[in-house]
Amino acid sequence: MISFLLIFISSLFFMGILIRTKSLASGRKGPGIMQPMRDIIRLLRKGAVYSRTTSYIFQIAPTVYFASVLAALLVVPFGSRSGFISFNGDFVFFAYVLAMGKFFSIIGALDTGSSFEGMGASREALFSMFAEPAFFILMGSFSLLTGFTSFHDIFSSLHLASHFAPGAELTRETYLSYVLAVLATFVLVMIAMTENSRMPVDDPNTHLELTMIHEVMILDNSGFDLGLILYTTSLKFAMYGALIANFFLDGMALPFGIMLFFVVQFLFAVSAGLIESFMARFRMGHNPQFIFILSSVSLLIFFAVLLLTGKFV
Amino acid sequence: MPFIYFSFVVLAVSVVTIPFVNPKLKSIAAVIAVISNAAASLIPAWNALGGLPTEILLQGSPITGLIAIRIDSLSAWFILIINFTSITGVLFGSGYMKSYADRKSNLSLHWILFITFHASMLWVCVLQNSLIFLTAWEVMSISSMLLVIFEHQNTNTLKAGINYLVQMHISVAFLTIGFIWIYFSTSSFDFKAVQEYFLHNPSIWLFILFFIGFAVKSGFVPLHTWLPEAHPAAPSHVSGVMSGVIVKLGIYGILRMVFYLAHDQLLLGEIILSLSIATGLYGILNAAMRFDIKKMPAYSTVENIGIVGIGIGMGLIGSGIENSVLIIFGYGGALLHSLNHSLFKSMLFYSSGSVYQQTHTRDMEKLGGLIHKMPHTAVFYLIAILTAVGLPPFNAFVSEFILYSGFLEGIKSVDTTAVFLMISGIAGLALIGGIAVLTFTKAFGVIFLGSPRSEHTEHAHEVSFVMRLPQYLIIAVIVFIGIFPQFFYDKAISVLISSTATKDFVDFSVADSVIETITMVGRFSMIFIIVSAVLIFIRFKLVKQKPSSIAETWGCGYTAANTRMQYTGKSFSKTLGKLLNFLLKEEKKYIEIRADELHPSKRTHDSVYLDFAESRFVNPAVKRLNHFLNYFQFIQNGKTQQYVLYGIFFIVLIFLGTIFNLF
Repeated sequence: MISFLLIFISSLFFMGILIRTKSLASGRKGPGIMQPMRDIIRLLRKGAVYSRTTSYIFQIAPTVYFASVLAALLVVPFGSRSGFISFNGDFVFFAYVLAMGKFFSIIGALDTGSSFEGMGASREALFSMFAEPAFFILMGSFSLLTGFTSFHDIFSSLHLASHFAPGAELTRETYLSYVLAVLATFVLVMIAMTENSRMPVDDPNTHLELTMIHEVMILDNSGFDLGLILYTTSLKFAMYGALIANFFLDGMALPFGIMLFFVVQFLFAVSAGLIESFMARFRMGHNPQFIFILSSVSLLIFFAVLLLTGKFV
Repeated sequence: MPFIYFSFVVLAVSVVTIPFVNPKLKSIAAVIAVISNAAASLIPAWNALGGLPTEILLQGSPITGLIAIRIDSLSAWFILIINFTSITGVLFGSGYMKSYADRKSNLSLHWILFITFHASMLWVCVLQNSLIFLTAWEVMSISSMLLVIFEHQNTNTLKAGINYLVQMHISVAFLTIGFIWIYFSTSSFDFKAVQEYFLHNPSIWLFILFFIGFAVKSGFVPLHTWLPEAHPAAPSHVSGVMSGVIVKLGIYGILRMVFYLAHDQLLLGEIILSLSIATGLYGILNAAMRFDIKKMPAYSTVENIGIVGIGIGMGLIGSGIENSVLIIFGYGGALLHSLNHSLFKSMLFYSSGSVYQQTHTRDMEKLGGLIHKMPHTAVFYLIAILTAVGLPPFNAFVSEFILYSGFLEGIKSVDTTAVFLMISGIAGLALIGGIAVLTFTKAFGVIFLGSPRSEHTEHAHEVSFVMRLPQYLIIAVIVFIGIFPQFFYDKAISVLISSTATKDFVDFSVADSVIETITMVGRFSMIFIIVSAVLIFIRFKLVKQKPSSIAETWGCGYTAANTRMQYTGKSFSKTLGKLLNFLLKEEKKYIEIRADELHPSKRTHDSVYLDFAESRFVNPAVKRLNHFLNYFQFIQNGKTQQYVLYGIFFIVLIFLGTIFNLF
């Protein structure tokens, strides 16, 4: 419940912070933090233009996309406090319900019969396909490490933060689990960048349709639907931020926890902005390799976990 | 056993009546026959699932010995799958075959064969005398082969049928060797003897013989090559039933043998698991690169057999390391996925068949925009593919979820090989899901969305109610299993309880917590449906108040965009094909323009993706075999006199053998 609320709040600022970081890094003052939200609200109020070719699929696709992210949010916990609902293997549900949203956004793009949007849809399908194994190997490793299979149980038994407690012993296991957390954060950040179509996989600011992925998919969306899609992107970002924050949140008192949560979200947004400022988009042909590397990093985490649990010497 | 007799009576009655009634009544007669056979078999099956198995020993001939007919919960599970899909198949078929009403005699034969096909599948599930089992198996293969070649005037169809027939006989050869092996060791044809044999003789090779035999039927790579040939060739209701059910009988056979196994389960489980992961990935990769509306689902069947096989492998590993949770997740997932796949795959074939019936082409690239002309079929197809990807809130998600849970349990096991297989299983399933998104968005987008790509779609309109009815039924079941999976999983576990009765380490008390989790999944799916429905409702309410207009699709500044500029299926999945070009070989056929050709003539460009296993392993092997067998051509020379001579030789041989007591 609390995670839902906090993710909602951070989603309002996320894009603003990201864009502000980018403008500061390029020496501009940049728009206010709330500007992206203001744009979205303006879009939600506007009327729309629909293509003659489209059917109802085009109209329901953005809503299903949004609903899928909402449903995925239900399982995201807040440290040792579970989300709305929690059961063994809920991260499988999380990934699959997000895939449901993706499915609809892809067929929504194909509904317009435009060659550009088909191209974006094809790339989106291909790149998110390569990102799937990384997430599952990552979660599988953590479930092996902790012995649990739900988000809530995994995060509340990682105990990364408790090592900061005075008098806590720093053992080899502790160091290794920090390494794991750092690697996992890297994988999650990169998956978030891929899933939200940001650099280095996709450039949301490009002006050439041929080099777009996500932007070109929503060329024909306008008004309410476009606003919903843009907001869903912020929400998704905040959701991944919440997952990262969860690695460090266990058992903390609520006020500190909330503070740490927002700090992590802020850092995530800033680092996403920095990545975008100082990196160029990869060549389209190199994207699959890059995304597949994430799976290798996840495998690295898996091997480390095998070492930690003594299964593999 | 009243139902076996009953099915014979039904068959006999239909053989005498169907040829003589008028064409309209033929299909109705077939529907009645199939439903009455299904109803008759439903009663003992339902009892068996409830814990009351039936066993009857018929007095057979001196050769066969006692004929054991047993309906235990495993047979019952598959009987239910067979019945539901066959009923939807015959209903759909009765509408689908209307366009062939002028071919009266063919139609009679078709419906009689369909009834035989359905009945023989039921027989296969209950007969436990290996000789009689093989006979029923043959009846099933031959009747389905004859159903496949309904359009026999088409050479390709005939070729596909013969290919299927040959491969089915390779399967039978393996099974026969296996059963003969059992017979020589135990001198019994009863399946109980197989169990006894496995209990006392650790023999991997016997199991592998059976596995290969059944794997040809179910389509494990590289034995899958009949599927993408036979399914497109057959009429759609036949391909729906074949893909939904007949491959499941291979699974039934494998499961039957797996439950008899008592030794080497870990090793065999690891073999089956790796093979299945490969099968799943291979199937879906090839499905991604097929642009034939019936070949694509055929390859997707290969993928789903892989997923079922993953469950079987997992369960075997569970028996090997005596882990009850893995058994429950593995076998339970395999059983549930068999059911789920039979539902959505038959619907996928039915709706593809509807498209084919209306447009007369199987080439996706010639279709487009059909959602406006066939709105119901579009919904059927959409739900079928959403289920095929394994997305919530539909039923296949539940079975995939169970398998993921099994993997997450399995990575905790001590055996290092198993641990690695489990993590590759997780990655494999995830990758399969990802490729499935690409495959099926391509299919739906190209067939139903966008603008028409050729004149084939001009006269398309929605299909008749009788063709839609079975698909409504299937959707109801799919959504019901998706939301309330616990009822079905509970039944699957009761199948396991009776099938693993000989393994005393299995502890089914953990099943309760598993069922609880599954219930949560269902509830969650329901929440997702409600959230989406409410949001869509709100969205339409809000949008209605605002001004909206209709215009052309934005062409990025280009104003003369036409339908031929749309993204095609090929262009949609081309990048994947290029990335994996070592596995997905593309064959292009075209003639280059020569330098001296001042006025190039009209030419065509053709590109097909080859099946790696078929073009690399199967075809060269067949070629070698053909070459070798050429030397024996003199035996088959078409001279009747010589054939009679062979007969005499044979009789003399038998005679001498009997005299000298050789046999």
